[in-house]
This record gives sequence, C-alpha cells and structure tokens, in this order.
Amino acid sequence: MIARAEILAAIRAAEVPPAPTPAPVPDAADAADLLQQFRSTLESVGGASAVCEPMQVFEEVVYTLLGPGRHAVVVLPGRFAVAENGAVYVDADDLTNRADVVLATELVLVVPTGAIVATMHEAVRRLPAGSRCGWFLSGPSKTADIEQALVIGAQGAKTLLVVFRD
Amino acid sequence: MSAGHPEAAAAFLNDSERAAWHDQALWFVRQRRDRATDLPEWEALRDRAAELKAYAMANLAGLLEAFETRATASGVTVHWARDAKEHNRIVFDLLRQRSATRVAKSKSMLTEECQLNPYLAARGIEVVDTDLGERIVQLAGEAPSHIVLPAIHWKKEEVGTLFHTHFGTPADESSPDALAAAAREHLREVLLHADAAITGANAMVAGTGGVVICTNEGNADLGMHSAPIHIVSVGIEKIVATLDDLGVLLRVLARSATGQPITAYTTHITAPRPGAEMHVVLVDNGRSARLADPEFRSALHCIRCGACLNTCPVYRRSGGHSYQYSIAGPIGAILAPAVDLDAHRALPFASTLCGSCKDVCPVRIDIPVQLLAWRGRIASANALPKGYAAIFARLGGIVADRTRFESAGRWARRALRFLPPALLAGRWNPWTRAGRELPLAPAQSFREWARREGRVE
Ligand code: SF4
Repeated sequence: MIARAEILAAIRAAEVPPAPTPAPVPDAADAADLLQQFRSTLESVGGASAVCEPMQVFEEVVYTLLGPGRHAVVVLPGRFAVAENGAVYVDADDLTNRADVVLATELVLVVPTGAIVATMHEAVRRLPAGSRCGWFLSGPSKTADIEQALVIGAQGAKTLLVVFRD
Repeated sequence: MSAGHPEAAAAFLNDSERAAWHDQALWFVRQRRDRATDLPEWEALRDRAAELKAYAMANLAGLLEAFETRATASGVTVHWARDAKEHNRIVFDLLRQRSATRVAKSKSMLTEECQLNPYLAARGIEVVDTDLGERIVQLAGEAPSHIVLPAIHWKKEEVGTLFHTHFGTPADESSPDALAAAAREHLREVLLHADAAITGANAMVAGTGGVVICTNEGNADLGMHSAPIHIVSVGIEKIVATLDDLGVLLRVLARSATGQPITAYTTHITAPRPGAEMHVVLVDNGRSARLADPEFRSALHCIRCGACLNTCPVYRRSGGHSYQYSIAGPIGAILAPAVDLDAHRALPFASTLCGSCKDVCPVRIDIPVQLLAWRGRIASANALPKGYAAIFARLGGIVADRTRFESAGRWARRALRFLPPALLAGRWNPWTRAGRELPLAPAQSFREWARREGRVE
C-alpha cells in the first residue's frame, strides 16, 4: 500500500493545471444506409453478412454464406452492429463460455435486424450497464506480421459471418 | 552503452537493399493509414482525442482511484508498482503462489519496458509471447523493432527458416499463409494450456472499471479466457475518464496504427469469469515524474499506435533496433532520454525535425518541439553526443554572423561546382559515404538573387 500512496502523492504533486472536460461527442447525423455501410465494411475486413428474411431458414442462409463443404459452425448472439467498422458487439452475459468468441473456427453472429449504429460514439453508449465482459468483433482473426501479407485466421475465427434476423 | 544510434543506423544502412525494403514496408503502412483516416471528422477526432488525454492527465489520481474502486467491486485485484522492479516482483509473486511455470503473454510494451521476460525466465518461469510478430522475434532472441509491428524487419524467407527449426515446417516454406498456419497450431496449444495469461491494455476506463485490449489475432482473448489467472500490466497513463472517451480512442487507434477501421478484437473486461482470477498491475516507472515536467508531459498522451514510426524518414531508414530502447522512433526518442539521459542522448538528434510525426499523431503530441527541448537539455548538461559540441560551436559562430555565413555559403557553392567529385566524395564526407550524390549547387544564393532583383538590401 506504500506504493499506491506514493504514486498517487507523486501524481498530485505534479500539479497538472486543470483541463476542460471534453464535450460529449454528438451522434452521427442520420447516416444514409447503415446496413449497406456495415455490410461493405465487414466485407473489407474479411467477413461476410446476410439478412435472414422472415420466410428464410436460418441454417440455409448460413450455409449459403459459408459455401460448400463447411459445416461446423458456432452461432453466438450479437447485440448490435457498428456500420463504420463492421464490428458486432457481443456480451459475455449472452455466452456460456467467454472463450467461445475466439475458440470457434467458423463463427456466426446473429444480430437483431435494424440494430446498427453509425459509429463507435453511439456504440460505446450502448454497452450494457454493468457489463462484465464484452467484445467488438470486426471480421475474422487476422495478422500481417509476416512481411505485411494479410493472413486471415491468425489464432481465432477463420470465418466470421453476421446474419441479421428478427 | 555500446554504440549509439548513429553507429547502429550506419550498420543497418550497410545492407542498402534491406534498408530500402524496410523503408518501403513502413511507407506502405503509412499509406494505409492515410486512406483509413480520410474521414470528414478526422481532424476534429484528433482534437477530441488530445483533449481527453489532457483531461485524463489533469485528473489522473482521481481517475485511477475511481478505476480501482470499480474494478475491485467487480472482483478484480488492483496492484500498484512504483517501478519496473516492483512490477516484476508483483507478477512473479502472483505466479509463484499459484505454481505457474508456463505463461502466455500477449503484446505489451510495458512488459518490454520492465524486462519482465528475462526476470521471470531467471526464476524458472517460461513466458511465451503469443502475438505472431512477437513470437518470431522471441524465438530469434531479439527484441521487437516496432511497437505495433514487432517483426517488421523480418523477411518471410527468414521466418521460414526460423519456423523450420522450431516448428518443423518444410525447409523452403516461406508462404505467409503456411507459416501463419503453423504458428496458429503452436500458439493455440500454448494459449489454451498456459498456467497464466499476461496481457497489456490499450486503455482503462475510470467510469466502468474496465480494461480494454485490442488485438487482431485474438491471442489476448484466447489466453485470458482460458487461463485460471489473468494479469494485466498497464501504465498509469493509459486511463481515460469515460466510455465516450474510449469511443474516440477506438476510432483513431487502429486507423492510425494499421489503417483498419478497428482491430478484429476489442475486448472491454471489468470482471474475471466465474472461478478465475483477474489482477491489474498499475505501473508508474517514471510516469509521475514526467507528469511533473510541463515541457515533456504530453508525451504521456501517447496511445502507442506507431504512426509516428511508420512516417519517420529516420526510423524507416535506420530500423527499430538502432534506437536501443523498448520504444523506437520519434516517440521513443522523446521517452528514452527521460529514462536515462546519458545512454539515450543521441536519440533526440536522430531527427530532421520535419514534423511528419506531429502531423500523423492521433493525439497531437508535438514531438518535434520535445525533440528540440531535449537537445537543449542535453547541451546544457554538457552531454552532447561525440563530435556534436565542436560542430555546433563552429556552426553557431558562422550562422550567427551574417558576413561569415554568406562567405561560407559562397565557398561551399564554389567547392561543389568546381572541385573534382572524387575529392568531395572522400571518406571524410558522411553524406557521400552513405552512398548519396552531392547536390548540384546553384551559382548564387537566394539572398544574392533577391539582392540582384532589388528586393532586399
Ligand atoms: S506519439 Fe502519437 S503517433 Fe507516435 S505512437 Fe504515440 S500516439 Fe502514435
């Protein structure tokens, strides 16, 4: 506890002059087509998405997206999507095991239709109060650590699909 | 300290082909950043990011206390470390008490700064760096050469040879896909079975008591949600006040770092999973002292995006290892002298003061001004790097005296125009020694031209 007291005392002794409280960032002006923006951004970060229409079978939508011969998928619920960066927010409260978000090789996130915000400013305001753990997942796991060549599927998901469904 | 930055940079430049390749690799990342930051609100975002950092530094003690209260309430144990030694000791005690012998670590510049790996290795604990780039340099017995791209100086064929030795990939395998796949097998094995996970943090949020960790590979998440204990090592300056502030940071961080709109994984964690432990070690290690120095205070705003490295003409052409500090590039050159002025006194001179770092910095740190201020301090401490004092005294005398300055210019132009190149490009000339052509000198100076045109006296 000496360390704590000493560090806090040193910080206070530094007497940093007051700085204004940053103004809250306003929500984005009504963006045109958030769904379209989300879908193209997600594609640019290596993911894919679809909207499951009321008459469609969810599994069929997923397998169409996946392509032939791939079946073992993990389906997790997402709370909402972020148009500017292709991310989906997933909260640990909705999962049985936190590690599932990274253990799954083929990951499907199901997001309620219409649950899309424009930017991270709105997104952080939608974090559930008292959330114990949550993620913004933007496309599959990736690395460019070998000569800046993009490799999809570094250590987590090799495929990340987002399906909007009511 | 052995050789300083100039010597190490000269050695790097000896392999001119590799130096050019390194330069291009980083310029490529810089260009990706330019495309990703092409948003109408980008400059306003940078303003807002600078403000939130200034606010956090002005209220640092209170914000840390608020963070601690919230984190503790949700089951996290918060530790405080005055310096690297104390940090290492705390981490070691936590591991020893749980008989941990194998630790999976995700990227953390702070543990580099504290030299945690060698400290734990000396006490029988194996630390595996699980970021692919960090694993490459770790297997090779090197330090990262870049804060975001640790193995940017490695060619894929070299990674192939390294992985052949360690993971048994085919000897001539150099495809990034195949090599990354081999690393995936190895690293997932390590991450899922480690006795403990250590991660850094990109931010702490006082308002939620949350720690925020960004990765593209997912290694931090694999480790922290699998191991029985998760230890977060984080510098005290990483705190932000609110989720609103976090939103701003997350918008600028990955765009500046790699040109992505956000990293693939952004984790906000406030509580350990049921049955597991979570510890946060808050580290000072010189930060509070820097906070007390108005001239260099804003260096604490750094969010370690690496943009200033990617854009820096000196960094790109001298390589991260030439800085001989855990953080290379322009930001390293203003952080390192505060740690050890004598050892790092050449770094503030490793810059042309072109200002490109300041132009890309997402939190608007005025790096060139701080480089200049360090030069002043180094000169007043009589600690100028070898040879600089004599040159500066000479040069100072000339530029301070208009007549001498003009005649020196005249002589230099004549020499460049009329002396045989072989004489000018001798071993004594550091400009040509580095393989550069001497510039063509104009017949007259700007001032002479203006005088002739009747524009000045
Ligand atoms: S100084 Fe600025 S540009 Fe450089 S790493 Fe830090 S935040 Fe990024």
